[in-house]
Amino acid sequence: MNSYPPELLVQLAPVMFVAGLEVPPPHQPQTPASASAHAPPPKTPTTPAQQTQRQDPFNVLSTRLRDALLAQRKVAIWQPDKSKTFQVVLVDKDVPFPPRKMLRPDEPGHSSSHSPLSPLTPSSPLHPDGLIAPIWIRKHTTLVPSVFVLFMRIYESPPPLPGQEQNEKEREAEERRRDTELAAEIAQRKKSTNERNIKLTAVLMASRRMLDDPTLDARLTFIRRQSGLDPRAALFVLSPVSQAEIGDFVRSLQEALYEPALEYYTNHSKRVRRKRNRHSQASVYQMPISPLASAGIARPLRPEGWTVRYEYKMACFAEFRGEDQVALKHYQDAYSTLIIMFGSTAILPPRTKRWAEAKVLADCITVKIVKLYLYNNEHALALSHQNGHMRKFADFSRGWGIGEETFEFWSWLARQHRVFAELLEQGTRSTLKIPSAYPPPAPSAATMAAQVLEATQMGLDTMRVLGLNPNQALQHPGFYYYMAARCTERRRERFLSALESDGEPQQSNAPGFVNEKKVDHLTIALELYTRAYELFKKWSPQQGNNPGRLTLWIAYRIAQTYHDSGKFDMAVRFFERIARTYRRESWQSLLHPLLSQWYKCAQQLGDVDLSVRLLVEMLAYGTNASPEDPDALQDDLLAVLQSTVPSATDEPLVIDLSESKSLLSTSVVFWEPEVDVGVLAPVQIHLSSLPHVSLSSVSFTSLAIHFNSDVPSVIVKHVQADPDTKIASVQRVDIGEINVSPAPAEPQEVVSVLRWGRGSTIVLAGSVASDLPMHLSVSKLVLTIKERSWWIEVPIVPEASRPDDSLMAPKWLCTVDPPQYLPMRREDHTGVRVRYRSHRIHVSISHNGPAYIGEDFPVEIDVTNTDDRELDVTVDVLLQPTEIDEAVNYIAMDDQRSTSLIKTISCGSLAPGTSILKKLVLTNTGGAGERVIDISVQSESHASNTVASTPTSSTTPTTPSHPPLVDRTETLRTIAVEAIHPIKVAHQATYRRPTRAQPGLADLETFEGVKKDEASAVEAIVTSTLTVVAPAGIEIESILLSRKNTDDATIVDCSADTDDFNGEWLSGDELSSRCRISVVPDEDEPDRAIPGAGEYEVRWRRISFDSAHGALATTTFPLPPLHPPSDGLVALLDAPTTAHLHQPIPLRLTVRNRHPSRSANVTVRLEPDAATDAFIVSGLRHGRMPILLPGAEENITWNLIPVECGLVRVPSIKVLDRRSAVQISQQTEQGIAGQGPPVQEGDEVRIVDVRWEARREAEEDGVGKGALPAVKTFKANDVFVLVLP
Amino acid sequence: MPPQLKLNAVAFVSPQNHPILIRTFAQGQDELKYHYIAHTSLDVIDERIAAALASKSTDCYLNLLYTMEDVAVYGYITPLKVKIIIALALTDSVVRDADVITIFRALHTAYRQAVANPFLKVNAPIDGYNDHATLLQAGNSKWRAFRKRVDDIGKAVGAVGSAT
Repeated sequence: MNSYPPELLVQLAPVMFVAGLEVPPPHQPQTPASASAHAPPPKTPTTPAQQTQRQDPFNVLSTRLRDALLAQRKVAIWQPDKSKTFQVVLVDKDVPFPPRKMLRPDEPGHSSSHSPLSPLTPSSPLHPDGLIAPIWIRKHTTLVPSVFVLFMRIYESPPPLPGQEQNEKEREAEERRRDTELAAEIAQRKKSTNERNIKLTAVLMASRRMLDDPTLDARLTFIRRQSGLDPRAALFVLSPVSQAEIGDFVRSLQEALYEPALEYYTNHSKRVRRKRNRHSQASVYQMPISPLASAGIARPLRPEGWTVRYEYKMACFAEFRGEDQVALKHYQDAYSTLIIMFGSTAILPPRTKRWAEAKVLADCITVKIVKLYLYNNEHALALSHQNGHMRKFADFSRGWGIGEETFEFWSWLARQHRVFAELLEQGTRSTLKIPSAYPPPAPSAATMAAQVLEATQMGLDTMRVLGLNPNQALQHPGFYYYMAARCTERRRERFLSALESDGEPQQSNAPGFVNEKKVDHLTIALELYTRAYELFKKWSPQQGNNPGRLTLWIAYRIAQTYHDSGKFDMAVRFFERIARTYRRESWQSLLHPLLSQWYKCAQQLGDVDLSVRLLVEMLAYGTNASPEDPDALQDDLLAVLQSTVPSATDEPLVIDLSESKSLLSTSVVFWEPEVDVGVLAPVQIHLSSLPHVSLSSVSFTSLAIHFNSDVPSVIVKHVQADPDTKIASVQRVDIGEINVSPAPAEPQEVVSVLRWGRGSTIVLAGSVASDLPMHLSVSKLVLTIKERSWWIEVPIVPEASRPDDSLMAPKWLCTVDPPQYLPMRREDHTGVRVRYRSHRIHVSISHNGPAYIGEDFPVEIDVTNTDDRELDVTVDVLLQPTEIDEAVNYIAMDDQRSTSLIKTISCGSLAPGTSILKKLVLTNTGGAGERVIDISVQSESHASNTVASTPTSSTTPTTPSHPPLVDRTETLRTIAVEAIHPIKVAHQATYRRPTRAQPGLADLETFEGVKKDEASAVEAIVTSTLTVVAPAGIEIESILLSRKNTDDATIVDCSADTDDFNGEWLSGDELSSRCRISVVPDEDEPDRAIPGAGEYEVRWRRISFDSAHGALATTTFPLPPLHPPSDGLVALLDAPTTAHLHQPIPLRLTVRNRHPSRSANVTVRLEPDAATDAFIVSGLRHGRMPILLPGAEENITWNLIPVECGLVRVPSIKVLDRRSAVQISQQTEQGIAGQGPPVQEGDEVRIVDVRWEARREAEEDGVGKGALPAVKTFKANDVFVLVLP
Repeated sequence: MPPQLKLNAVAFVSPQNHPILIRTFAQGQDELKYHYIAHTSLDVIDERIAAALASKSTDCYLNLLYTMEDVAVYGYITPLKVKIIIALALTDSVVRDADVITIFRALHTAYRQAVANPFLKVNAPIDGYNDHATLLQAGNSKWRAFRKRVDDIGKAVGAVGSAT
């Protein structure tokens, strides 16, 4: 931008001249102005005069006003701010304006004379055919204002002292005199500003006291009239005020004056437009022939030139007014006319002064147009103009003979890019936003539809909607600086080629070429690249310290430029930084040219160490290597090594290629993933060179193989073979057996030929063994090159050196000739784990299953040491949790007892060949099923422990990552023990009604205390059958019924109390016991089961197969819960079992109403039985019993005299419940059930022979019949009595 | 007339930003330049990805990345984060997004077919290889079909542009 006149580029703003703000120098306090200023402030006695002078409020005010006015606007190119501010120029009060025309108005010929800057004026720099000159802009920005502001002091009389009132008149006269002087001064100024239509405004500065003076208004009116100032916005009064108020004043002053300023520029525009119209209307423009212009070849300005001139002027005036759109239009018109002028060599002959001026003007107008577009955020239009400008002038340049092959062209193009970049940079510093192409504004369905509609209507224009012209996408200024730099590089190329063909003297002496010779292209390019670099850095997203890749690219360019300009040290610094990222991201294509450039720099710098380093890296990458010339790189390296000496000879130059590719691609392959201690693990190390790089001449002196931990390293030394022998593509070197021992060992040495040809491989094969368990791997390989005084070490880390982009599994070399490989598809091929040999421990577990529930079941664990070492053995036992109901199982061993885990039962130290027997006791309860036990036998070798721990602690104390080397083997056994019940029990309960008389309904005893209702008590008889199911039989010691009587159930007696079950019982044996229980069912909840009143305790022992008896175990079987059946109306018949002939026996019938709520209406009939007249009966034959209330009973007794011997049946008795019969008869009476079944007399009540009674539980009535056939119920008809004679 | 697109270069870059394949079609041009363009585009692509994440966009097409010298660089990211970068010759005309996306789709398909090649892993260790290596291997000069497909697309772009 500096290459263009700044006047043509800056943003224009209305110009304001400000006069009268000069601060008098402090050392001259007695100038007239300051004297007048000095007088009014009241002198305070405490203030020294000097200080008053410095702090004179009007001086302060002036200074502040100057600052405020000057600070508000900076002259800049990018100034889109549209606030009404002026460009303020401080001038003297009586500054003259430049003459409008060459001749003064009073001179003759004034009307036909022109402005001193007009091309028509012979003395003008534009004479005769110049377009527009920067001086014209300068005239309007510095010499002619749009408004003139004059700051003046108004005279203030000193405050009237007391007793001086008589001076009033004098004072007024003095004031009037001073005011007249002031007005005259203003009027003088007013005269010159009026000539040019410039608004003049006077600002009178007065003290605060003055503002309150009643005479002020009159004085001001007087001054204005006298001076001829405008009535509006032409006279201000200002008193010394604070900084903030000054700001307000400045703002209001400008607002008031903005309008006149616009008017001023509008008038100019109108004047220019009139002139332009006059021009365009005149079909043939009469050239005003100036006497001086006729001489020489210069021709007057053409009409197109005048158009450009006027349009440009109008654009400028519009810009002064802040009317950007109007300015843009005029600039565009000027530009297009200018293009027409360029199109013709007749109008603008190339390579003339005017041509060059016009070119500059075109460039500057472009900047203005682009800027105005950008103010409005019209990025695409701005870019399109910029690109169009460059394209058009590129076309013109070809015609002018400064096409793309000339440095002039590229210089110009670079300048265009640079100016654009600078404009953008300025813009982005303030208001310009660079648009982002992404994310694109998400098109909603509506806009999509609208777009489609537009597409159908507008045809081609749709492409604008659906896409983007990449050429019109605005990017940040870094890109354009970069372009400028690239153009500068091209410029240099063209210049250099021109320099080479320096044959034609007329060219070499051309002024442009001479100038070009002075230009330091590289510095310019460097500057541009650096600017671009900074901008790219600024615009790239900040990602920590990771430099952006775009900036790296620029950095690479910078480095190249440094290289070209011979600043190799700077270039090297850049290369170093750039290479880091390229290596990490493995962009080899970028790295290769970088390395070669770097190497060239290193060569130039004479840094041999760096050269060697880079050459080795280039060898590793195969940079610049080609299959045709595989030796090129190594030849370079050899040349360096042989011709130079290293910087330090006493220590090796270590070339660490861990960040980049390693010199040789290596892979380490162990045959097995695991080996025992002391066993050899075969290993192969493959080292291959790149297929297109030969290393045959590089003399590797040795190759050191470093293992991890204590493994002694192996050094393969090179032996010089016959140099003529061809290098085999695969060479196998045996490195022998390597033993890891606790004592530090000397490195082993092997000799071999260490030469690699193109893509050849050396396979180092050997085996490693360790006496200690550890993980063995190859930590690094170090190649050493010794050549003359050089000593170079290249370490290679095998894992890292395998290219990770290779999908080739590592291979194991089987045969060398021909080479055959076996792929190793394991992941852990790079190392081998050495572990202790597992101990030979024999664990056998024996038990006599199945286990019986309730007993302590022994399990024997036999641990035998069959190893040849003494072993410490411990046992852990885990009882797996079961899901069997109510199973609570225990295991016990030694003194530990647990429901789940027993840990670390020590078995002591076992000598080889000995064994130990451990007894585990399993106790089961709950249901039958499998119990699973895990037994873990751990053996630990003492001997190896002591051996192993001492050396590791002494030799490698700083390796805490090693796991503790404990030689331990664990043997696991799992057993499942079937647990079964030894005895099964089955209960059968029957119930009998009590025969004794029930207490009456009103018996007071019923209501006493908590005692249960005796009346409802039932007698339950429980028969328990115990079946021995233990397969081997058990020995029962005793069976006891332990009583647990409750209110509901009381054990009356039990047969087990008297029976003796002691003895051995085999599987299938059954034992039986009966007990009688008195049960009182709950009246409220008749269905509730009544818990059994006791449990059988069986004490027993297991009988093993070998007839040994186990421990005493106790199993309990609780009595079953009882469910006494409920009762209704029942008749109980009681007859003696035996009778004697002719002796009367009683036959008693008890009718009991157990129904909880119904009363019973019962009739009893003794049925005479003809067939069995075995008895003579006395008593009721047929009768009705009293109504039985619920819970009541009634007895009827017959006397029977047997008259027959034998088992005779007693007469049958029929008891009828008439209750339902009554109901039915009532219903028939009502005529409802006339056609129903024949009316019965009533329901027959069941008669129970109490001697035989045995009821089963209510719910078992249906199902239990088959199970207990012995229990029968007899009907009354079947009541028999044995009659004895 | 729709603008005639001219494909100057195509680059495939792995999710770890390692180059898979870079093909240039411009005659007599510095091939290295397109390597640089591919590499530098990654910066802009990273930026775009971040922007896409922020706006929850799942669009593969990353639009115009930048223009530099005589090329306009466009980016595309596959769902598995393989980046495809193309450089179109810069002309002063509108480039329709639909056209660019079509080119990207074709390239993506070519890439998918190349990666699906089971023989890429024929020598791989059973459990030790990673997918990244497979991707890179696809661009290896050993596998010619991928290159051929990409080249065909490059040719087709020019042909279609001139035919319509």
